[in-house]
Amino acid sequence: MKETKYVMSGGLAFTEEKDMKKLSNYAKKGWILEGFAPLGFILRKGEPQNIVYSLDYQKDADEEYFSFFEVAMWTRVCSAGNEIHVFSASEGTKPIYSDKETIIEKYEREKRQMGKYSLPLLIVTVMSFLLRIISGYGWLPEIAGNISLFLGEVFLIILIFPGMPYIAYRFKLNKIRKW
Amino acid sequence: MARIDSLEMGELTDTAFYILLSLVEARHGYLIMKSIETMTNNRFSIGPASMYTTIKKLLSAELIVLFNEEDEKRKTYVATEKGIQLLKKEVERRQEMVRHAEEIFRKKGVFLK
Repeated sequence: MKETKYVMSGGLAFTEEKDMKKLSNYAKKGWILEGFAPLGFILRKGEPQNIVYSLDYQKDADEEYFSFFEVAMWTRVCSAGNEIHVFSASEGTKPIYSDKETIIEKYEREKRQMGKYSLPLLIVTVMSFLLRIISGYGWLPEIAGNISLFLGEVFLIILIFPGMPYIAYRFKLNKIRKW
Repeated sequence: MARIDSLEMGELTDTAFYILLSLVEARHGYLIMKSIETMTNNRFSIGPASMYTTIKKLLSAELIVLFNEEDEKRKTYVATEKGIQLLKKEVERRQEMVRHAEEIFRKKGVFLK
């Protein structure tokens, strides 16, 4: 008997803490985190457990990285792209981050990454709309203006995906720095 | 906007201070956490994610180096001369802070237990 359940994530950049708390609440009811799923998590029916979850970002995590968690009694549950890792531990285990400086480091890395994806998209979006404006003055054929308007809208939609997390990380970092 | 990095300012965070201190002699990475807990009677403990991040920072600042690598899981580190110098400077800085407090306490008649 394999009972599974799908739980949606609010988007890790936006609701990481809430998501982890939610997973912990599910574990109390016997729904144990099994792995990542598109835009969420897969849980499996099991024994109710008092466990907490923590998420870390670490690109190309090596054996040493995981051995530190093992020593600290945190069990690796799942990873996505060897970059996003979820660990579980019994309630009361000391947190995976013990100081503010390294927490800032965690989100700075993610913010930079999202910034790197966003910037070129932002540039092509702005350029497309500029081309549209220029063609509006009759300096370019009308068809070029229409194409650039369409492209601008497409780029803008794509830009939302790294752009929103980027903004979310900025807000989060500002909050952490004020602790 | 550049972020103020305590390592670049020549100051150590408590985490970096204790890691560097326990690496005055070469030690396995995963034993550093335990040795710090023993050293401080469990009053200070470093989470695994903070530990990994700080070790990477100390490495790139050349305050510690890889001592020997038997296998991936058992990397050994040791403080460099630069690391020891910074540690000394940091101890002096902290001693001075304690001295300041003691002076004020003496003047005001505050006694430590």
